[in-house]
Formats: sequence, structure tokens, C-alpha cells
Amino acid sequence: MTDTTQSASSSEALLIVLRHPPHGSSWLREGIDVALVAAAFGREVELLFQGDGVFALLEGQAAGALDQKGTHPQLKMLEMYDIERLWVSQRDLDRRGLTVDDLMLPVTTLDPDGVAALHAARPLSLIF
Amino acid sequence: MTLHLIIRTPHSSGIFADLLDAFADGDYLLLIEDGCYAALPGAAGLDDAVVAGRIGVLREDAESRGLLARVAPSIEIVDMDGFVALTERFPKSLSWF
Repeated sequence: MTDTTQSASSSEALLIVLRHPPHGSSWLREGIDVALVAAAFGREVELLFQGDGVFALLEGQAAGALDQKGTHPQLKMLEMYDIERLWVSQRDLDRRGLTVDDLMLPVTTLDPDGVAALHAARPLSLIF
Repeated sequence: MTLHLIIRTPHSSGIFADLLDAFADGDYLLLIEDGCYAALPGAAGLDDAVVAGRIGVLREDAESRGLLARVAPSIEIVDMDGFVALTERFPKSLSWF
């Protein structure tokens, strides 16, 4: 019986889509955790920041008022796990009055068509 | 005379439009938690005339999100003590989720 569903081979990249800002909820932290674990197990991982997720990369973040760790320390570990392909929606940056110069890591920006193409090209993806 | 508190970013839903509909003379709007992202210039489309001089952002939450140096000039930076003072000044407060 052939598997007709679109299955991703083990070597295929995992796309993690991050749509939530830091501090306000645990969505972002959990998405980054999954990315780090997948990479630790040898999976090639890419991150796509959409919507309020672009705030995750804002330069100059700090611990919370009650010393909550925040997620910027985790983002600094991405490089150590060889997660270097970071995609960002250009339209979502524009909407928030931000540019790539406001971000703490080097990224590649995508226009709306680029975002759609990336989603289409990654059968293996998780959204946080 | 209502103190409005909002904890969502301006982009996540129509919540800001709903809040502004409810915003009356003598009211004050304090941006807290993820609401601080509305303090970025032009981010929330907050029509200055409507909220001019009556909108603040909580220092501690803005600082942790790296926003302190990016707050629009028309928005007051209010620290935790200032927040407490606001709750004393306004008999009624409304939290927008």
C-alpha cells in the first residue's frame, strides 16, 4: 500500500512558525524549545517569524519585572544549535514600524508571496 | 472616569477599535503587558486627538520588551507606583483582554 499522504522524509527541514510576542504568554518560549530539541536530535530547523512573532527578535529585551527570564537568552542559543535560517515577514515588520536594524539576529525578510511559498515548500511545520 | 487597561498587542484583534469606541472624556488608557506594543509610534493607529495626554505605558513591561527607547513621544511612561496612583484616581477600571 503506498502512502498517499504527503509525508516528509527524515532529512526534510522542520519549519517552526512563531506568531506570539515575548513575555506576554509562553507560546514563543515553547516554540523555541521545540526548535532547539529538534535541532539537538539532528533535524534541520528553520524559523519563520510572522505577525506579533516579529517582536521576539526586537533588540534590547530584558528580564521581566518579576525577573521572568524572557526568551531572548534562548534566541541567542539558536546559532549554537546551527539554527541560522531565520525568516521574517516584511509586511509584519512594516505594520509595526520596525526594520531589520531593530532586530537582534540576522534574518531574511519575505514578502507575502515569499511567506506563502515557504509554507508550501515545507510539508513539515509547526505553528506557535 | 474610567481607567482602561489593555494587555493585548494592537495587531492581535479588533480589541483596540472596541476600546476606543468606549473611550470617553476624562478616561485614561494604560498599556500593560503586551499592550505596550501599542506604544510604538503609529503602531496602534491611536488617533492622538482622542487619547492625547490621556495615555500611558507601564515602564516595567515596556522595558522587558525592549520598548522603552521606542515609545512614541505622545505616550507617558508610568511606573508601578504611577499605576497604583491611577487606580486611586479613577473610581472605575476596565480590563480589555
